[in-house]
Amino acid sequence: MIKENSEEKKEIKADPALEDVKADLEKSETLKNEYLAGWQRARADLLNYKKDEIERISELMKYSNEEFILKILPILDNFQLAESAIPEQLINDDYVKGLLQVKSQLADFLKGQGVEEIKSMGEKLDLNFHEVVDEVDSKDKEPGTVVEEIEKGYKICGRLLRVAKVRVSK
Amino acid sequence: MSKIIGIDLGTTFSAMAVVQAGEPKIIENKEGARTTPSVVAITKTGERMVGVLAKRQQITNPQNTVYSVKRLMGRRFSDPEIQRDRKLLPYEIREASDGGVEVKMGDKWLKPPEISAMILQKLKQDAEEKLGEKITEAIITCPAYFDDSQRKATKIAGEIAGFTVKRVINEPTAAALAYGLTKKKDQKIIVYDFGGGTFDISVLDIAADTVEVKATGGDTHLGGDDLDQRVIEWLVDQFKKDNGIDLSKDQLALQRLKEAGERAKIELSTTLETEINLPFITSDAAGPKHLYYKMTRAQLENLVKDYIDKSIELVKQTLKEANLSTTEINEVVLVGGQTRMPKIQEEVRKLFGKEPDKDINPDEVVAIGAAIEGGILQGEVRDVLLLDVTPLSLGIETMGQVNTILIQKNTTVPTSKTQTFSTAADNQTSVEIHVLQGERPMASDNKTLGRFILDGIPPSPRGLPQIDVTFDIDANGILNVTAKDKATSKVQSIRIEGSAGISKEEIEKMKKEAELHAEEDRKKQELIEAKNMADNLVYTSEKALRDAGDKVSAESKKEIEDKIDALKKVKDSDNIDDIKNKSSELSQTIQKIGAELYKSAEPNKPTEEGPQAQEGEYKEK
Repeated sequence: MIKENSEEKKEIKADPALEDVKADLEKSETLKNEYLAGWQRARADLLNYKKDEIERISELMKYSNEEFILKILPILDNFQLAESAIPEQLINDDYVKGLLQVKSQLADFLKGQGVEEIKSMGEKLDLNFHEVVDEVDSKDKEPGTVVEEIEKGYKICGRLLRVAKVRVSK
Repeated sequence: MSKIIGIDLGTTFSAMAVVQAGEPKIIENKEGARTTPSVVAITKTGERMVGVLAKRQQITNPQNTVYSVKRLMGRRFSDPEIQRDRKLLPYEIREASDGGVEVKMGDKWLKPPEISAMILQKLKQDAEEKLGEKITEAIITCPAYFDDSQRKATKIAGEIAGFTVKRVINEPTAAALAYGLTKKKDQKIIVYDFGGGTFDISVLDIAADTVEVKATGGDTHLGGDDLDQRVIEWLVDQFKKDNGIDLSKDQLALQRLKEAGERAKIELSTTLETEINLPFITSDAAGPKHLYYKMTRAQLENLVKDYIDKSIELVKQTLKEANLSTTEINEVVLVGGQTRMPKIQEEVRKLFGKEPDKDINPDEVVAIGAAIEGGILQGEVRDVLLLDVTPLSLGIETMGQVNTILIQKNTTVPTSKTQTFSTAADNQTSVEIHVLQGERPMASDNKTLGRFILDGIPPSPRGLPQIDVTFDIDANGILNVTAKDKATSKVQSIRIEGSAGISKEEIEKMKKEAELHAEEDRKKQELIEAKNMADNLVYTSEKALRDAGDKVSAESKKEIEDKIDALKKVKDSDNIDDIKNKSSELSQTIQKIGAELYKSAEPNKPTEEGPQAQEGEYKEK
């Protein structure tokens, strides 16, 4: 006679401790998946960041001069102010000519760095490139036309470096 | 899932930020700038301009260029603040039918939220262009003292601009968020916000789940612009004294003074003296006149002393209202560009006896905090992912009592760094790993975190063994230093807790000392390097002589030995020039060993030279 294995037939009662462990396990599984996904995403973000970095560096190299050139511009401005203040009788003075040559040297240097003047005189006011400092009555000009350049504006490699400060016709 | 943008809608400037890859980042506007002037205008040609373009035509179009509209948001026309501002604003305002304020721009009368909405709209468009995705949700900040109607006005402005405004949060709270202060519990925080046009103080109480505003104070008409004005006035006065001409009457000269004055103020935050150089500033019958003055930091501080003192008084008043003393404040946060001024930082430090939080760009910190709030709402910024950095560099002591840094300060943790080291003497069988924390190049000037020894290194000539030293810091700031001998695979390690648990004051102190002693330390370091090189040279020279044996002539041998002795004599002195000279003499002389060895190896080498290396053109750089 085969002895009935009463253990096998015994119903497995719900063991509260076991239920707890199952719940914990499920929670851990979810958390694990979350962490793994997060980790993979962070890794991907890093790799993408590295790729972006190469682009950022080339952008930086292209425009890193900008801040520096911006600081040099006031020096050129002052040279231009000096030039326009030269009295008639000194225009052909050799000392003056020499100083003006220094001004040209500075202007040429900047040109070599990709700096170009913004067209202002006679142009229609364009707030993307001009800043209005004053208005004047001008009978023969259309309103909103630049009639005087108070401070020159510049672009570098096609991008705005500094706005031109202008006087506009009313 | 679209991002939630954080916007600092400021009185004079606005900024926006968004969380990308778990980190808040400022978004540049279309013009490439990180902040946008809070200015809106209808130009003479009837076009609507927002931001820097609107500012560029402000001077000749004052009635239709609306700035500082934040001052009018959510207020009643009868408010004394409004009546006061009315006298200062060049554009027209009137009472709306509901008792609020209306602003004239062009030929329309608009409510302040409509105008703020135009600024927000530009920010939205620029952000969408930059990020390449639609942004529909925003967190917008407002001053802590804004009442319900003012907050509502802010929310409405956002909605008009096309945003779903998830939250309107307080600017000081946003700043606290940016510094991670809301992670800590039971903190009393002061936010000192000195911007372009307004000065705001807030006292925050950070509890378990909430940030409570205990008190606010300030001056709605005190800002960096006022400090600029002092500099300009000083320049005008000086020039009047020296030349008898009043530059304030000359609009163009005044413009140049304004720019130069602001620039000088900014420069004096990083230098002790600056010049204001404006040639051809004006002219009279006698000819052109030039302006040139030097200004020291001390002079500037004198000129604006009363403004700074006033700000400190207001802080004290606000603290009183909050029923707190300066010692009960746990953290002080600096917001606003003007807080870059060293004197202001010093006064704040003096008042509270602690170093204020100022590492995040003060012009951007509020937007950053708003972005973090957006990130938290979206679940993108998990508390567990807000990572720390090591405040000070970590390294070990190496030959010459030098601090060799493995992990630089401000490295985000968790992180791990390994470097290979070797022995300093022949037959050295153990190495002592002396773990250091600090920036100074000499080991003894830094803090010792721990020491341990790795032994059992097989006897070898110095420099041959390979010992891998690994520094590993986990997210809790616990440092594990391990030393492993590659030959024997023997490992020894030490665990150091609380290497990050160093007070902010101590960190600042160590950084300052490093700066102060930088020159001196650099010289010491150079000396040590020269000594180490000399040491190596002596060692290799003696070895080379030994190995060469008889192959070197007695004459050369004597010469070399003399040079070695000469170097040995000076290498323990502190005269870096002597050491360098004797080192180079020795290294020249030991070349004879090589020359003679080669000669003895090939006695029949042809004496005629083969094709010689051409001497190339050498251009001086």
